[in-house]
Amino acid sequence: MNFLFNEEQTSLGETVGQVLADHAALTGPDPSRDSDGEVWAALAELGLFSLLVAEEHGGVGLGFVDLAPTVEALGAGLAPPLIASTLVATEAVNRLGDVEQRAQLLPDIAAGETAIAIASAELGRGNDPVFAECGLHDGRLTGRKIAVAGADVAQMLLVVTRTQSAPALALVPTDAPGVTVEPHADIDPSAGLCRVTFDNVAVASAQLLGEGSPGALDTLIDLGATAQSGMAMGIAEVMLKRSVAYACEREQFGKPIGSFQAIKHRCADLAVAVEAGKATSHYAFWACSEDAEDRASAASAAKAYCGEIACNACNDAIQIHGGMGFTWELGLHRFLRRAQVIEHAVGSRAWHYERVVAETLAAREVA
Amino acid sequence: MDFTYTDEEHRFRLELREWLATALPEGWGETVFEPEDEEERYLFRRDWDKKLSSGRWAGINWPVEYGGRGATLVERGIFAEEMARAKAPESLNIIGHNLAGTTILHHGSQAQKDRFLPPIIANEEFWCQGFSEPNAGSDLASVRTKAVRKGDKYVVNGQKIWTSYAQYSQWCFALVRTDPDAPKHKGLSFLLIDMSSPGISIRPLRQISGESEFNETFFEDVEVPVENLVGQENDGWRIAMTTLAYERGPEDCLGRQVRFKQELEKLLEVCAVEPTANGVLADDPVVRQKLGRSIVEVEAMRLVALKSFSRILAGDERGPDASVIKLYWSHAAQRMNEAALDILGPAAVLSEGDDDAMAGGRFQTSFLQSKAFSIYSGSSEIQRNIIGERMLGLPR
Repeated sequence: MNFLFNEEQTSLGETVGQVLADHAALTGPDPSRDSDGEVWAALAELGLFSLLVAEEHGGVGLGFVDLAPTVEALGAGLAPPLIASTLVATEAVNRLGDVEQRAQLLPDIAAGETAIAIASAELGRGNDPVFAECGLHDGRLTGRKIAVAGADVAQMLLVVTRTQSAPALALVPTDAPGVTVEPHADIDPSAGLCRVTFDNVAVASAQLLGEGSPGALDTLIDLGATAQSGMAMGIAEVMLKRSVAYACEREQFGKPIGSFQAIKHRCADLAVAVEAGKATSHYAFWACSEDAEDRASAASAAKAYCGEIACNACNDAIQIHGGMGFTWELGLHRFLRRAQVIEHAVGSRAWHYERVVAETLAAREVA
Repeated sequence: MDFTYTDEEHRFRLELREWLATALPEGWGETVFEPEDEEERYLFRRDWDKKLSSGRWAGINWPVEYGGRGATLVERGIFAEEMARAKAPESLNIIGHNLAGTTILHHGSQAQKDRFLPPIIANEEFWCQGFSEPNAGSDLASVRTKAVRKGDKYVVNGQKIWTSYAQYSQWCFALVRTDPDAPKHKGLSFLLIDMSSPGISIRPLRQISGESEFNETFFEDVEVPVENLVGQENDGWRIAMTTLAYERGPEDCLGRQVRFKQELEKLLEVCAVEPTANGVLADDPVVRQKLGRSIVEVEAMRLVALKSFSRILAGDERGPDASVIKLYWSHAAQRMNEAALDILGPAAVLSEGDDDAMAGGRFQTSFLQSKAFSIYSGSSEIQRNIIGERMLGLPR
């Protein structure tokens, strides 16, 4: 029993964090996508996209849990969400893809040449990331997805859809005829959120991921939710560090404000939340890696809880920074905005708490 | 990261599971429960402690030479899980094992170890903690109970408060002032006091739950042999800090988590059957949101404790980690208890003994009891100061 990361896992996260830190614009006050291409190239050169890919396909063959500190670094550095979605999709292809799909997709993914955006959310479905109106009938995909991060620059879309009989996952190239990608006006312009419309798009059976596998959608949800929880904790940790640093340096009434219990205690509570959230998220990464019995409930627990913690951490950080916290220049709003994107990706907090309950009650019945 | 168990750890689990199956009364947890009367319940727990000792399942982490099994942290985790699985009764001598014993193991003389450890592990001597006083709560270092050296004895005078289980204890470890002129942290000593000594009187305090687990304990010219001083005279604060590190540590959290999980299981059980206008409680989306959050937080208690365990296993010092854990579980448990009453609806106000009470009114009792969590063993405010100053480096 050991609930710590090894040196390799930790240093991987640190390295990715350093690469992101080299691109100051990522976390600057003005949301911008100007450096996204360079960031992608730098991470690809580092080999990030080959880590999850098996050696036979030109990768390193690491497990999902090995990337937990890395995904936190992506969150902390406000990296384009397309990076994490590509990692999630890679793992989905590893697990759900057939021999041909893996042989066809993984080498390009490993080389950083295929970015994959995940298209799940739709309007009119409430919080549910699973139920898709976007339908696949007679080999044709029709419907509309919203908030697809990075769809405008990705090469591939992983689409949550449904056939007459069951939910399905379709891999659709962004340049396929009938696919229209339009950027949204949204809370976090750096996230690259897009509306994607499918108008009678031809989808061959070979493009379906995990066809006939009843757990395929759950696999994607669990991987996606877990990755989002990691990014949420990256944000929460930055908020804690910046709050503490400011509380040590900012003086009022002749003392650093961190000496006042109103501030000190808020920081302490934030530190506790970060610890609890990270433990929850790390466990979810492990449960995904090991396909543990409680994988679904661990992933949903992490998504719901860490999303909540990240949103609260941003609130705390802004409050602790006082008037400065509310300024555009300080840039805390960037994290507040991104936390909202994470909160609403792959199902909201309410949906995931609900899933935890459903899983727990079902497990009780089995026992 | 690895949550799997070795063969040896697995055997440890099976051995304990088999022992529990025979040790617990037949029908335990189904038809047979702890006595309802408070006094009888404590006596029942005392007997259970003795049974644990007879199977060598008390103080498992202690070194083999003192009757323990030298259990690893992982085995302690397994122990907590299995006790929960069997819904085993709570131990009465937690203070003896986790605090008195642990402190004596760290700081006691060989003679003290030989004298005090065997009866603790045998659960023949039960312990209480004499730290808090009416004017030394969060400001623990300002204790006034004084001990004056006279020949080969200390003469102790003063008053302790919130002394849990004093009425069942044979011994008390106490923080006393031995140098009134020194700065407040530097004039304290750590004494082991025989509760049958002349001059000790106990007055039970009634808690908001109606129970009287804790007491006021008065010391009037109580004589304590100098050999019952742990460590050096006036070095008691440092020793007390060891005690507190274990009081708040991951072992404590893991044991409690198991109880909270049982509580939550009971709540789920009630929700799965309790009818509402259109189904059962567990069908209500609002109820499910509350349940969901509680499930996640109770699991997170386990995970934060395991994180801390792993850090200690990797060689980290016990530090403010313990405060993080204590602050987390105490408030998370309170939230769960609040949620339970919210969920039960109008029946939430009905208590044990009322025919219409749900689950025998236990959620109400737990709700009331939970208010102590954020106060005892260092209030939340003190934990936040420790975290803020020692972990985050915020100025005093």
